[in-house]
Amino acid sequence: MEEIRSFETIQFIVIKIGDEQYGIDIKYIDNIVRMQHITRVPKVAPYLKGVINLRGEVIPVMSIRLKMDLPEDEVTKATRIIILKLEQYGMIGVMVDEVKEVVTLDNSQIEKVAYDNKEEKSNYINGIGKYEGGLISLLDLNAVTLEKENV
Amino acid sequence: MDVSQYLEIFLDETKEHLQNLNTQIMTLEQEPENADTINEIFRAAHSLKGMAGTMGYKRMQTLTHDMENVFSEVRNGTIKVRGNMIDILFQCLDALEEYLAAIQETADEGTNDNEPLIKALNDILKGSDSASADKKESTAKKEEPEKKEEPKQETNTAAEPWQEIKFGNTEQSVIKEAYSQGKNVYGLTISVQEACILKAARAFLVFKALEDLGEIIVSVPSTQDIEDEKFDLDFSVVVITDKDLETVKKAAVNVSEIDKAVGGNVKLAVEESGETETTETETQQIEVSEQSSNEPAVSEQQTQPAVAAASAKPAAKPATDKKPAAKPVVNRTVRVDIEKLDSLMNLVSELIIAKNSLVSASNVGTGNSSLFNEQIEYLENVTTNLHESVMKVRMVPIESVVQKFPRMIRDLSKKLNKKMELYMSGEETELDRTVVDEIGDPLMHLLRNSADHGLESAELRKERGKPEAGSIYLDAYQDGNNVVIEVKDDGNGIDVEAVKNKAIERGVITPEQAENMSDKEIIDLLFHAGFSTAKKVSDVSGRGVGLDVVKSKIESLSGEVEVKSKLGEGSTWTIRLPLTLAIIQALMVDVGGEKYAISLGSIQTIEDITKDDIKLVQAKEVIHLRGTVIPLIRLSDVLDIESKKNSDDDLLVVIVKKGDKLAGLVVDELMGQQEIVIKSMGKYINKCKFISGATILGDGEVALILDANALI
Repeated sequence: MEEIRSFETIQFIVIKIGDEQYGIDIKYIDNIVRMQHITRVPKVAPYLKGVINLRGEVIPVMSIRLKMDLPEDEVTKATRIIILKLEQYGMIGVMVDEVKEVVTLDNSQIEKVAYDNKEEKSNYINGIGKYEGGLISLLDLNAVTLEKENV
Repeated sequence: MDVSQYLEIFLDETKEHLQNLNTQIMTLEQEPENADTINEIFRAAHSLKGMAGTMGYKRMQTLTHDMENVFSEVRNGTIKVRGNMIDILFQCLDALEEYLAAIQETADEGTNDNEPLIKALNDILKGSDSASADKKESTAKKEEPEKKEEPKQETNTAAEPWQEIKFGNTEQSVIKEAYSQGKNVYGLTISVQEACILKAARAFLVFKALEDLGEIIVSVPSTQDIEDEKFDLDFSVVVITDKDLETVKKAAVNVSEIDKAVGGNVKLAVEESGETETTETETQQIEVSEQSSNEPAVSEQQTQPAVAAASAKPAAKPATDKKPAAKPVVNRTVRVDIEKLDSLMNLVSELIIAKNSLVSASNVGTGNSSLFNEQIEYLENVTTNLHESVMKVRMVPIESVVQKFPRMIRDLSKKLNKKMELYMSGEETELDRTVVDEIGDPLMHLLRNSADHGLESAELRKERGKPEAGSIYLDAYQDGNNVVIEVKDDGNGIDVEAVKNKAIERGVITPEQAENMSDKEIIDLLFHAGFSTAKKVSDVSGRGVGLDVVKSKIESLSGEVEVKSKLGEGSTWTIRLPLTLAIIQALMVDVGGEKYAISLGSIQTIEDITKDDIKLVQAKEVIHLRGTVIPLIRLSDVLDIESKKNSDDDLLVVIVKKGDKLAGLVVDELMGQQEIVIKSMGKYINKCKFISGATILGDGEVALILDANALI
């Protein structure tokens, strides 16, 4: 353990949204659950899908696809809800198409991205990880969960 | 002896005794001859003295000791109760409350000796002329600290203010003692930045920081004045500590918005006169300027509680008032940590959810064994009873909050120079602990409001043919699943025109809007933030930060507040609060295939109506039911969902009420009554206002709870 830490490595859970791979820092993840019935909550932002019951607690669930202006989620067998535990909001569920694996990246494998306000999507990313030839977009959870101004 | 473990008990019991004293002295004022009351007061004062002594709070002990002496003489009939004596006694109680507040925060009683009060008490004992004692008392409070601590005339213009602090005999001996123990005595002058807004709070933080390092023996101006922000940009203190000067200064400067702190060693002059050089210094004036790199987050956090503490101090503290009601008949009680109750409550919630699952499982299963159902019914019985008894433990009478109001009204009466009486009823009405703790401030505000704005001056009252003394009523009673608290006065009532003009003037509404608003709507504007119609701002009420705060506070408790008023006759403020916050009985309904819960408490009736019963008034759907016109609310529209029903079908309408207003909620299907556990939906979902929470059903699904009050 100690040895690994000295390299400053971070573990990410790799998820799939559409054709792209995204990484979420494992320290924010409380749980990953299968798709279940989501109770719709009226009059909230469209990307908020509703609430679920996680062992007796009511937890809001958002769609990362709708937040990124991608086509609506298609629920398949692989669909999962990742339960994030954030200091600011408490527990939040995020719907993803598929959960692939856990990877460990060190600093040299992570490239910071510059902020580009032209492209909506890149605002949710704070780095790109290079792993076994593929690229993983590392999600900036603060940006993802930030409430969009309802115009 | 280590007494810290008894501190909590001490605080609780002292509060009880103080409250008791307050009430009894009020009675004494009405019936000066009542021997029972005098005995009771004597006993309470005696126990207070004993307790303070045991805990080592000398100043508190001295004060209560002198109070006890006075009561003892009263009991023996040597001195008679007079008006000014009551005033002094009340001031003593206030002083004791201040000690208590200090103890609660720092486990130390503070340094205020309250000498004027003790002197006044002794004057009473000596039987000195009442008038002069009264006069002395009222002026003493202001003069004394100045006399003692006012900086001396400038003998040395270059000297820092702290060098001019004059020490009394006690302080001198304390300083001497400190030096003999090898401790350091520093004088400090601390300057606050000019832009600083909450000077008192900053000063408070400095005091707190310094008290961590040592003991503050003198401050100029006095702590009281500092708390009241009666100082310019700097203040001076003398600290006894075993740390070095640098550390002490750093501690002061580390508080944000503190400009600089200068200081040095304090030396006592030996000469008797003490005129020119009471204090001398080994001047090593090092200035530590503010390290602006203070982490804002930290200082922010520090500020919050400090500001709260500073502002809460002058008023009695209802929020932290932890004692159960002091009932005249002594109940056998056990003090239970509220956290333990909360966890018990959570367990009960779990149990109810489990029971609900069993119920729904039995509906699904085809095996209709009667034994199974019997067991479920039994379980239901048990959970319901358990729930009720746990809730009852959490219930406390509102008495603990309202019993301080008679005293407050008495003080207000003197301050505002209006005669008024407070009549209370229903003090035994019980509410959930958490609600009772929070309800004190809003109630106090409404009472002050009535006293200040509501009641007219005595002359005007005479003119209007009302009794000279105004009446304020505080009534509490249970109404179904709600507790209603009413604050009523027979004063002037609300001047709708004045409110309207003010609202237009403030830009809250436009004149055109005002034309179309009903009186009630205009009165409701009073709850608008930043609205105050008081012609002049008094320190009792009328800063414009009032009624909106009352409203939001009560709404945060899932309650509501309403006002009715008749010009010239008075106003009634009605607060309606739910009995419990955690578990409610609800009607489950189906709207467009989704399940929603409506609290049974707000449901009046359920009606079946045909399409023809619906009439249109101002393009809004209403129904005419048994003589009342009730607006219809189609839940499917409100909730953005397609109704399952055809437009020609009969409608199922749930009639809900809020106060005396009714509305009909159109639903698709009724699913039955159920006990539901209210769960929060978390901070992330900025829920719409007519959803008051969520609950978990027997099958594990989440259903949303509709807030009928918000829909109306």
